[in-house]
Amino acid sequence: MSTGLHMKPVVVEAATTLLTEMNAATGSLTYAALLTDDGFDVARFPAKTDGARFAGMASSMQALGDAVTHELSIGDSEYIIIASGKGHVVQLRVPGQELVLSALFDNDATVGHALAVTRSFAQKMADLLA
Amino acid sequence: MAEHVILFTGPMGAGKTTAIQSLSEIEVVRTEANNSERHVVDKATTTVALDYGEILVGAQEKVRLYGIPGQKRFNFMWTILKKRAKGMVLLVNSDAPDPLGEMTFFLNEFRELYDRGGVVIGITRSDVVDGPGVADFAEALERTNPGLVIPVFTVDPRLRHQMQNLLLTLVVNIEMRAAFGLAAARPA
Repeated sequence: MSTGLHMKPVVVEAATTLLTEMNAATGSLTYAALLTDDGFDVARFPAKTDGARFAGMASSMQALGDAVTHELSIGDSEYIIIASGKGHVVQLRVPGQELVLSALFDNDATVGHALAVTRSFAQKMADLLA
Repeated sequence: MAEHVILFTGPMGAGKTTAIQSLSEIEVVRTEANNSERHVVDKATTTVALDYGEILVGAQEKVRLYGIPGQKRFNFMWTILKKRAKGMVLLVNSDAPDPLGEMTFFLNEFRELYDRGGVVIGITRSDVVDGPGVADFAEALERTNPGLVIPVFTVDPRLRHQMQNLLLTLVVNIEMRAAFGLAAARPA
């Protein structure tokens, strides 16, 4: 019987390392989380936060994005952006994995920069698990 | 056209997605992800946001069917979905570790739907285990929520006619209670 990615130490360790590197790479990162498609927290930055509730929300959002693209027949959902007055959340799937990377940037980062950083680190995670 | 919004609730593996699939006359909107908890409930996928379907009851009444994710970590979706619902189909699988406890838990969580419209309970998977029967659920219901009028059935969520019976019972229940409410509000 398969075990969830959030319960595999090698995945949790890789995710924790990745989020630390992501924070070092951009000063605008406020919060970031890696979570399973079905809403389990794998790792988060800052690590001390409780990521369980956000992981559930992010996975619901990812699935709703997929449902919308399916409904409108526009292929697969590539990324989700939520813009607010104090920052933006960028979220996308780790290529080839049942994992989602969701990151909150402050407004010092443009949406384009935030998307580029998130995309790049999602690919790094995919490479780490390959 | 009259419309009802009905919520399908209950624990993971109770058959909520299957029930909506059986009933809906439109393609069901599903939000499934691969299930990481196969050691808890052995099924390949699980709902992580909502299910959505529609069915016409009679010629004029559209019933919108929303299914919740059953796991407590998605309870923020419960808060969102229960705001728009008028009644609840509570499905409980007999082979859950504590089916009577699950019934009480979900009834308490969504109690406002009883007050707003009505509730029916469907016991599923009663054919695969020798779990508690209708009488046990009714007794637990009376013990934990005395005085509530909630029909209890055993159902197979895969069978459209059984789910239709359950849904129609709920719709009639909601309309009767609304009618009684109106009658009570009228001056003698």
